[in-house]
Amino acid sequence: MQLALVGLSHKTAPVEIRERLAFSNDALRSALTSLVDRRAVNEAMILSTCNRVEVVAESPDERLIRDFICEFHQISHDSVSSHLYSYRNVDAIRHVFRVTASLDSMVIGEPQILGQVKEAYRIAMDAGTVGMHLSALMNRAFAVAKKVRSETGISQSAVSVSYAAVELARKIFGDLSGKTVMIIGASKMGELAAKHLRRAGASSVLVTNRTFERAVELAKVFEGAAVPFEHFTDHMAGADIVITSTGAPHFIIGKNLAEQVIHRRKNKPIFFIDIAVPRDIDPAVNEIDNAFLYDIDDLQQVIDANLKERLKEAMRAEQIVDDEVEAFCLKMQTRDVVPTIVQLRESLEKVRRDEIERNRRHLKDLSPEQQAAVDQITKSIVNKILHPPIEQLKQMAHDPQGADLAELIRKIFNVKPQ
Amino acid sequence: MHVVLLRLALGLYSVGFAHSVLTALKKKQAFFKPALAAVFAGFILHVASIALRALEVRYLPLTQQYEAFSFFGALTTLGFLIAYAKYRIAPLSVFAFPLIFVMTFVANLFYDPSASIPPVLRSNWIYIHTPLVFFGYAALFIAFAAAIMYLIQERALKSKHPIRFYNWLPSLEICDDLAYRSLAIGFPLITLGIVTGALWAQVVWGVWARDAKVLFSFLTWLVYMLLIFYRLIAGWRGRKAAYLSIVGFIGVLVTFLGASYFGGLHTFQ
Repeated sequence: MQLALVGLSHKTAPVEIRERLAFSNDALRSALTSLVDRRAVNEAMILSTCNRVEVVAESPDERLIRDFICEFHQISHDSVSSHLYSYRNVDAIRHVFRVTASLDSMVIGEPQILGQVKEAYRIAMDAGTVGMHLSALMNRAFAVAKKVRSETGISQSAVSVSYAAVELARKIFGDLSGKTVMIIGASKMGELAAKHLRRAGASSVLVTNRTFERAVELAKVFEGAAVPFEHFTDHMAGADIVITSTGAPHFIIGKNLAEQVIHRRKNKPIFFIDIAVPRDIDPAVNEIDNAFLYDIDDLQQVIDANLKERLKEAMRAEQIVDDEVEAFCLKMQTRDVVPTIVQLRESLEKVRRDEIERNRRHLKDLSPEQQAAVDQITKSIVNKILHPPIEQLKQMAHDPQGADLAELIRKIFNVKPQ
Repeated sequence: MHVVLLRLALGLYSVGFAHSVLTALKKKQAFFKPALAAVFAGFILHVASIALRALEVRYLPLTQQYEAFSFFGALTTLGFLIAYAKYRIAPLSVFAFPLIFVMTFVANLFYDPSASIPPVLRSNWIYIHTPLVFFGYAALFIAFAAAIMYLIQERALKSKHPIRFYNWLPSLEICDDLAYRSLAIGFPLITLGIVTGALWAQVVWGVWARDAKVLFSFLTWLVYMLLIFYRLIAGWRGRKAAYLSIVGFIGVLVTFLGASYFGGLHTFQ
């Protein structure tokens, strides 16, 4: 197996270059087929997201891929070459594993990349540009990603405001089913947080806003109820999670109000999420028993701590990837070498049998013993010729260069891969 | 044989103990599953040990300190296993395993082959009074552990530094729920324990109030009574309830371990 990978990512290229070199979904299929139509490119797959473009191929030369990218996008080598990275064999395998396991992502451990790689793989399968090498590589990459996810904490903690809100809500309430979310003020971020809470199981949503129509509109999105802004305090006791994001210049929920609400809730905990700037909720509310208040800075602080934690976990993930790369290389080399030995034997045996068959006429006068002797002699000649290359192959089975040797021997003896 | 079994159980419990210490020190869950398996295996040996002892002496083995500690250790394990089966709260083990280990260890320390049954305990009351109290204590211990977990989680949330280790702790609602349910089981049991104890004392001694253990257990009972009252009537939950639950369990510890040192009728040996 000869792997070559050329790509660019948010780490090497600004967005102008990334979008210039991106492959649209419609273009992917034709790009894939035109790539494998090239000489010395046997299999190919293209991953194209807003953060990266990766072209991986079973090919001995990564320059072929660079040429392809530039030609396909009609862009000169010089203008992009400094943004492109290329990897071969072991390094390419490692890169594929790291990307799939989300170790190379902008936000380390973000889960979308695995789905994107799976989709890219499916498209390449449909286009018929995936063979046994790439399928072995990608299936292993998916398994490694899963292993990294389950054995390290790189995807565990929330790194966005809305997920942090969900995570904190879970720490207070555990299961969110049966919980009510109240949205005060209609901002994009508040809406997003509510959406995530809803998806995490919260069963009902109350919306209030100074302009009632906007509240009604938003309530529709969440299949919830709109509450007139003048009366929102009356409904607050029914809410377990309150998200505020109004443009009010002063606090709209003070300590007194919060105390009353808690009292009416019979001390059931309530989670205030204040994402408004300037803030909507008096910070003193956090001092009340069973009230938990997080403003935007608090959430950010949680996210920062989680990010630090992810980086620590990423170190462990890198170790897993390293081990897996080694194991995969070993498997691939053995896989390249063993069939070569078998095919080599088969093809020379065929030569021998064909020659005997062709000379059957000259041999027919020989006694059965003599015929057996000829058979034996030709066999041992074949075996003697094969002995050194097979020994070499066996020795190289676990060597990184084993694949190259197998390739060379195939060429010399004219053995076609299966 | 029962001592050998108990020591084997202690060996297995030590795995659980090590798990708790490591988890608490490194703030990272350490080999929970093997520890759980070891404690479960230990529990089976432990029960077998108690059963053998019962067959040997032909009474429920509760009269000597060896037997009492062993019995209480087994009940705590049972309490933990039930709570774990229901709530799947792994962190509970951090509290339960050390207690189980210590109780079983102390039981081993107190083993005295020559000890005989104190005459005052040759009574059928012991089969009612002691198991009720011990079952109650085990349930109240679970409530205590839940209260501690609640306070740790609550402090982390209030301080706005909920570091990842605390993800491992159950949510506030679950902690509170577990504490309340354990209390709802434990309180009636110790109440009945105290009532049967009083009746027994009435029969044997005629008086009972002058014993340190009786006094402490009554004070403890009062604390739990208050807690139940506040929870039901004043709607207490969370932090305040957790504090009171901890105070109550300190009372349990003083009653169970300390009373012997103050003298009185419960000092048996």
